[in-house]
Amino acid sequence: MPVIEVEGLVKTYDGLNAVDGISFSVEEGEIFGIVGPNGAGKTTTVESVEGLRKPDAGSIRVLGFDPLQDRYEVTQRLGAQLQESRLQDRLRVGEAMELYASFYTHPADWRELLRRLGLDNKTAARYSTLSGGQKQRLAVALALIGSPEIAILDELTTGLDPQARRSVWDNIEDIRDNGVTVVLVTHFMEEAERLCDRIMVVDRGRVVAKDTPSGLVARMGAEQQLRFRPSVPIADADLEELAEVTTVTRRGNQLVVNGTGNVVHAVTALLAQRGVIAEELRIEQSSLEDAYLALTGNDNTALNREVK
Amino acid sequence: MSATMQLAKTESRLFMRDPIALFFGLVFPGALLLALGYLFPGFDEPSADLDGLTYTEAFAPMMIVLGIATLGLVTLPPILGTYRQFGILRRLRTTPVHPARLLWAQLVVHMAVAIVAALIAIAVAALAFDIAAPEMPLWFALSFILATTSTFTIGLLVGALARSTVAGQAIGMGLFFPLLFLGGMWVPRQIMPDGLRTVSDFTPLGSAVGSLTDTWFGSTPEPLHLVVMAAYAVVVGFLAVRLFRWE
Repeated sequence: MPVIEVEGLVKTYDGLNAVDGISFSVEEGEIFGIVGPNGAGKTTTVESVEGLRKPDAGSIRVLGFDPLQDRYEVTQRLGAQLQESRLQDRLRVGEAMELYASFYTHPADWRELLRRLGLDNKTAARYSTLSGGQKQRLAVALALIGSPEIAILDELTTGLDPQARRSVWDNIEDIRDNGVTVVLVTHFMEEAERLCDRIMVVDRGRVVAKDTPSGLVARMGAEQQLRFRPSVPIADADLEELAEVTTVTRRGNQLVVNGTGNVVHAVTALLAQRGVIAEELRIEQSSLEDAYLALTGNDNTALNREVK
Repeated sequence: MSATMQLAKTESRLFMRDPIALFFGLVFPGALLLALGYLFPGFDEPSADLDGLTYTEAFAPMMIVLGIATLGLVTLPPILGTYRQFGILRRLRTTPVHPARLLWAQLVVHMAVAIVAALIAIAVAALAFDIAAPEMPLWFALSFILATTSTFTIGLLVGALARSTVAGQAIGMGLFFPLLFLGGMWVPRQIMPDGLRTVSDFTPLGSAVGSLTDTWFGSTPEPLHLVVMAAYAVVVGFLAVRLFRWE
């Protein structure tokens, strides 16, 4: 049963449709990723689900409730971490937790939440003294303080160093393991690939794809590429005869073989049979990043091919 | 504890942790009265210019209004600007508690500090300069409530319009000094030229000083002063509520 249902959402700013007919549903217990370039409408979409924005058209149901009309029900059962939101510098971590716990009918044990998020030794620390990663983990703790059924996390790991990011990822998996449905807005493909059960790719206010991470990669035709320097010359034609190989090109003394399916095995088997050693062998396959770039036509992100 | 109580508790803790607000909002009015009374010769002698009051007597209600103005126009607006700029009000909107309750908590905290600051000033006046406590306590209390309400709603309006901390500070300060001048901070109302005093009567701090002075020293407040303060509270309060932006 879907816990969030969005149908034909439209939000217009200054005559431009920031969100132009987005529909999706989030199933109970999954981690649902919303990815897309900056300005694609990701934040506007989730803020409409949170009841912070009034849609110009379309319908939104959160656990069967309307976020604007049934504000009380939705806010009790949906926890949010907002992009670019912070707390008072002089507020202590424990005080913030105590304060937010007082807002809800069934608050979680805030000490236990801080412990799970690795902040239990920071209870007396002022907000201004926390590191970026600690602030984000506190934002997650505050999103979970009302024992919500759904948590929406918007650009949670932006601005964090890789180590802090990985530690937050573990926290997100932990949240889902505790039975909370998670909606994750991100522009890191690595993050979406690692965490999400399903991903919705948004570009210019529209949905361009909705699939599992591996499903999105498979749409790319799963092209693979081998590059190597053969120890003994081998004819292009011999390789091209293999069913899995699509093209063979030469770059200096390097051979570049493109193919699909089991191309890696087919090529290495042929080489072994001929007694050819593939020196400096590199195998690359399409990643979610490639799928994303192909879908959004957005090539300003560094191409991050998965090297094996 | 209810959410509103918890908000008020949190906001008062935060206020206590801000040394500048604490000094200027809470201690400064009493301290300035003490300094003026001791440093200036002849300040404790009755003056014909001041309708028979001494300068310290004339300044005592002014100091209470200084405290109210500092809290309402200097500390309140940037807090609201900060809360908007930091997304704290927005974040509250995603909880079952409406962010308006945070504004109430702020007003309650500022009101409490204004009361304590006034009590300190009254105590300083009594202990250091033998000035008796307000002679018409109920009228005095009513004048005090109207003075804080009208001044705080002006601060609320500034906070409603200010996009950021700095904007809140700038607009607040821009109102603080002219309104204090019209209240009689540098030229006591008693020795203002008639025209200027009439203008002063129609400003929130001028009517506050007039009303607090009258009731402290034994006369009932002028209805005009009460009406002016109430009018500011209602009209400005209405505008503040209408124009307030949560983000």
